[in-house]
Amino acid sequence: MAELTAFAYQPGVSILHRLDVRMKLALVAAASLISLRLDFPGIGLMALPLLSVAAGCRRSLRIQAGELRWIGLLLAFVFSARVLSTDGTTVLSVLALDITGEGLREGALVCLRLSLVFLVGTLLMATTRSTEIKTGVQWFLQPLPLVPAERVGTMLGLLVRFIPVIFEEVSRASDAQRARAVENRRNPLRRAVKLGIPIMSRVFERSDRLALAMEARCYSERRTQPSLRAALKDWVLFGLSCGWLVVLLAV
Amino acid sequence: MSAIIEMDHLTHRFADGTVGLDGVTLEIEAGAFVVIAGANGSGKTTLLRHLNGLLLPTSGSVRVAGVCVQENPMKSRVLVGMVFQDADSQIVGETVRDDVAFGPENLRLDRVEIDRRVGEALSATGLIHLADKRPHLLSGGEKRRLAIAGILAMRPRVIVFDEPFANLDYPGVRQVLDQILQQHRAGCTIIVTTHDLEKVLAHADRLIFMREGRIEGDGPPPALIARAESFGVRHPRAVHLGVEALSWLN
Ligand SMILES: Nc1ncnc2c1ncn2[C@@H]1O[C@H](COP(=O)(O)OP(=O)(O)OP(=O)(O)O)[C@@H](O)[C@H]1O
Ligand SMILES: [Mg+2]
Repeated sequence: MAELTAFAYQPGVSILHRLDVRMKLALVAAASLISLRLDFPGIGLMALPLLSVAAGCRRSLRIQAGELRWIGLLLAFVFSARVLSTDGTTVLSVLALDITGEGLREGALVCLRLSLVFLVGTLLMATTRSTEIKTGVQWFLQPLPLVPAERVGTMLGLLVRFIPVIFEEVSRASDAQRARAVENRRNPLRRAVKLGIPIMSRVFERSDRLALAMEARCYSERRTQPSLRAALKDWVLFGLSCGWLVVLLAV
Repeated sequence: MSAIIEMDHLTHRFADGTVGLDGVTLEIEAGAFVVIAGANGSGKTTLLRHLNGLLLPTSGSVRVAGVCVQENPMKSRVLVGMVFQDADSQIVGETVRDDVAFGPENLRLDRVEIDRRVGEALSATGLIHLADKRPHLLSGGEKRRLAIAGILAMRPRVIVFDEPFANLDYPGVRQVLDQILQQHRAGCTIIVTTHDLEKVLAHADRLIFMREGRIEGDGPPPALIARAESFGVRHPRAVHLGVEALSWLN
């Protein structure tokens, strides 16, 4: 079940895996900001290369889609909120609620933008080790005065490390309950509560054990870092991606 | 030879009041091969966790190579490598290779040295072909060997194995046992806990029985083995052939 985690690092040798982590972080930040202001054509333009890269990462899109149903739920919520709260010409009226053409458009736009940000984020997590993220973040923060770069980097790196733990525990706990026919219970709220409590305690317990294991092997903030090196290849890819982002902004 | 581990009236009380260890006094010589046996809950894991400061004594003291663990837990973690009872919970890295490199990176070795040690540890444990796999996808035996590789790369002087044979099939037991013996021959002090004496006893030079957080038997295996079952540990049936005959490697 561990392989089903969208947020876990997936070993590999794709261009994304090998791109210098500082450039990757910069691109991710830029791409996320830009995708929040794109219109439909821009979104299409942006999604195409991202999806092809994602497909190239050897990850089954079907499995990933299955896991991301939670995000789907969130998006559905955002979508309905948008649809119902936007004024315009009514295309459909259900009960006392007016559904407007503008609302549908707005809702779809917002959802697509959020999915793009999400896609960019998972690509980063899938292709970057937590130690690399730590090193990269630290590099960006180092020049800033008063910011404990090492500590912030360590915290972010640890956060990234612990996220898959949470998802693994969720799937384990839900498997354990399904094995005991939890599906016979109809009340979804009751099921959520019954699932939520063991998940919480398991996540804490797992995190505790992971922390112990790290401590036992002398973990501290100061450790040998992955070496940062930007080769010509990295710069070329970085330049191309920047150019592409500028084009997207212009669209 | 001098004692590398010294415990003096070590007592540990958990937050909920459970007494994990009750006045344990123990010395272990450098280069020894010690087996600690006892029923579930007798305090074996609790004892081991004091060796690298994962637990600190409620009273009493622990010294490793003369250094007080409470005062300098970092130093004790460099000296004492620990293979956990549950191999899953020992995995830290995102790939097999990263996991083995985790310890040496924490020791702040340079990259060349880290790569060398990782390569050595992976080939010693026969995991080199899995180097780029996600560790959570390994089999139970492979995970146990990965945990060992992660410790070997740190080159500790003492290696502690907490139930190293749990959940392993016959070849798995032999591989792990072989690793343990290799490290012992290389000069490491070895401490193994188990409730399955049969698998290691032939190689040990000291046997310790624990019950309810206390040490209740301590000496050379042939002298103690007859009392095994009174400590909730299965008596190895073939022992009448001589303790040496028990070895799983023959
Ligand atoms: N964190 C804790 N809080 C409270 N009690 C604990 C804790 N950890 C262990 N104990 C208790 O301390 C005692 C000794 O536990 P320990 O894990 O050392 O036993 P063990 O000999 O390793 O057993 P096993 O063979 O099952 O591994 C047990 O009674 C256990 O319930
Ligand atoms: Mg134990």
